[in-house]
Amino acid sequence: MRIKVSPNNNLRDLPLGLGLAAFVPVCLLGNLLGALVRFPEIGSAVLYPPYAILVAVLVASPRRDWPWYFAASVLTHALVGLSRWPLTWLLLADVANAARALVAALLLIRLFRGVPALDDMRSFALFGLAGVVIAPAVGATIGAANAIVHDMPASYGQMWVGWFVSNALTGLTMLPGFLVAVGNWRFVVRRRWSRARMLEALILVGATVVISALAFLPHFDGGRTIGVLFYAPGVPVLWLALRFGAGGASVGMSIVTILGILGAGRGSGPFHYLPPDENLLTLQFFLALTAIPLLCIAAVDSARTRAVQLYRSVLSSLEDQVAILDARGRVFVVNESWQRFASSGHICPLEGLQVGDDALVACQQVLRASEPDFERKQFTRRLHAGLTAVLSGEEKRIDLEYENPMNGERAWFTLRVEPRRHSDGGAVMTRANVTDRRRTQLELDNQRQALAHLARVGMLGQLSGALAHELRQPLTSILANAEAARQMLERNPRDMRPVSAALNDIMSQNRRAANVIDGLRAMLKRGETRVQSLDPSVLVHEVLEIAHGELVSRGVGATAVVSPDVPPLLADRVQLQQVLLNLILNACEAMDASPRSVRRLQVAAAPTPSGDVCLSVSDVGPGIPDALNGRLFEPFVTNKPDGLGLGLSIARTIVAAHGGRIWAENNPGPGATVHCVFASASTSGPAREPLAAAVLA
Amino acid sequence: MTTTPRDNPTRLRVAIVDDEPSVRSSLERLCSVMGMDATAYESGRKFLEALDNGAAPACLLLDAHMPELSGLDVLRMLASRGGGPATIVITADDGPEIYARVIAAGAVECLQKPITAEDLVAAIERAMACS
Repeated sequence: MRIKVSPNNNLRDLPLGLGLAAFVPVCLLGNLLGALVRFPEIGSAVLYPPYAILVAVLVASPRRDWPWYFAASVLTHALVGLSRWPLTWLLLADVANAARALVAALLLIRLFRGVPALDDMRSFALFGLAGVVIAPAVGATIGAANAIVHDMPASYGQMWVGWFVSNALTGLTMLPGFLVAVGNWRFVVRRRWSRARMLEALILVGATVVISALAFLPHFDGGRTIGVLFYAPGVPVLWLALRFGAGGASVGMSIVTILGILGAGRGSGPFHYLPPDENLLTLQFFLALTAIPLLCIAAVDSARTRAVQLYRSVLSSLEDQVAILDARGRVFVVNESWQRFASSGHICPLEGLQVGDDALVACQQVLRASEPDFERKQFTRRLHAGLTAVLSGEEKRIDLEYENPMNGERAWFTLRVEPRRHSDGGAVMTRANVTDRRRTQLELDNQRQALAHLARVGMLGQLSGALAHELRQPLTSILANAEAARQMLERNPRDMRPVSAALNDIMSQNRRAANVIDGLRAMLKRGETRVQSLDPSVLVHEVLEIAHGELVSRGVGATAVVSPDVPPLLADRVQLQQVLLNLILNACEAMDASPRSVRRLQVAAAPTPSGDVCLSVSDVGPGIPDALNGRLFEPFVTNKPDGLGLGLSIARTIVAAHGGRIWAENNPGPGATVHCVFASASTSGPAREPLAAAVLA
Repeated sequence: MTTTPRDNPTRLRVAIVDDEPSVRSSLERLCSVMGMDATAYESGRKFLEALDNGAAPACLLLDAHMPELSGLDVLRMLASRGGGPATIVITADDGPEIYARVIAAGAVECLQKPITAEDLVAAIERAMACS
């Protein structure tokens, strides 16, 4: 992406009168300067400042004002030139000047949509093409016709070169300065520069004037020159270029050019040993070739400064805290937000890290320390591993989330580490406060949990008859055994053997009843989610036990098929029981229309080829109707006359919250199967546990 | 005078059919201790096979809900064979529907679990009186 910062400070809202009042004297001065030094033989100017002045004004002013500026330009030219040149010569020269300025102005407006900023190489190259090559060539092609029209001693070709080089030099040295001036005149008027900057500019301009005068103006006898002096003005001009951009370089080069040409006019300067015309032409080339690298430096440096300012302003505007690390993990840039943040014994060891600190060392210190904070160490271990992986290029990005109290309240943060897009490597760390998002998520989870709980309670209501049946079985056994024991004691109090057997049965049936009650209580309670390692076999049997009464009363034969190598999974027991129970009840209902003799249901637990755990419930009912296929897990989708259609939707929410997936399919034979796949406890690992816990909490 | 299990010198033969092992064993134990000759069966099919093999209980304690053959199925099959022992259906369900259905199918009594010894004896006495 290319971001163009347009100055947008031009003359468009400057009244014409005021514009002309400034234009006329400056243009007059430019004409005088142009007339001061000329090629003795070909007669054209060595430097022609009115070109730069007119182009700058045209680019910056509305087109309706252009005729006025053209007229003023002709007038000032006539004021200076009428005494020296015939009117026809002046008129043809005016046509050439106007055509040149028009071409330059139109091209620059077309390319830059206004005043060019000249603050990168691309704009400098385009500017050079329009203002230094094309427009001067157009002007020279028309202007050199004076050689033929007025039968001058110089040829058309000589005249063309003279015109072209003088205007190209003007375009190169003076035009950038005038463009910057018209582009930023309001900026200058409002004196946004500090006093020190003003002083620096004045000193540099003064130094350029003095050094250039010393280099170019003194005349040495015997053709001796102090060659090294000609490079001396480069120092202040380079300084101007670096500190004040293209405008500064242009002002500096204009001074050097003017004084260089004045010196050459007096027969001094670096090439004074050459014939006059050749001396001036060589000087022009020398100045042009000096100006190009200096303006390039100014453009490159402006682009760099702009990029630095841009990234600094972007970094400082970020609410997120950003720290940039070098390839070894040492912090070398932090934004203001990061600086503002004070460390207060947080879980993350990188908080409070400042420029020069080493992020990896900060992690290692926490890991080596004898502090008992397990959570902090655990987090630091993951951060250190992630940071090392990103710095070495193994990982493209790591995201860590952690909870940390702030101002006495719960707060959550994310820490993202990404590679720095730079050949030297390194990483960018971004820390963001995600408390609001997390609170919303928690609220949503809370509501989901409440809904799941309601569904569970509703399901237990549906099962109440079957559950009463389940409780009455042990109670029947207990009562019958107790009655038997009593009668045994009445008949033969000494024989305790049969009594003991009856009592043992009472105790075991009591435990069974208690288990049923515990299971019910767990299902009815809206407790906190507790993620734990679950044996799928135990889970399947527990659920079949809860559903036993219902299965019996519906005449459904149930089988559990648990693969011996199925690994444990990490989940909340009650929530997974709810899912399986829901699937079992659905399967039972699906077989209502089937004859009792064929009603069969299978609950299976098996490992998947990838090592995950697959729990499935199959029936032999009519299968999933086509109308519901693919929409089975959407809320309010049901084919039961009295169903809400929330059971499977809630089951899906629970499965998704465990990081699993659920789907249904028709069997190759009769009926359908619903599968749920969860990561095994070993693959979900400790890193996932807090996440799952957080999602479900 | 009706015969009661308690004072009958020849032990009353009672069959118990329940898929639930704990209920089956506890009822068998209770009946035995009360002087009855109790035999327990884990399914309706096993009981019907025993009848075919010559078993002739005077009274049947039959669970209503069982997989494969339910209590009602057993009652219907006994009726189709021209009757069987006096049957008391024992159910863990609530509600009057099951009561009406088993009585209609030929049961003499219907008791809801859990059952006290007193209720059981009373039911057996009534059943024996009816038969």
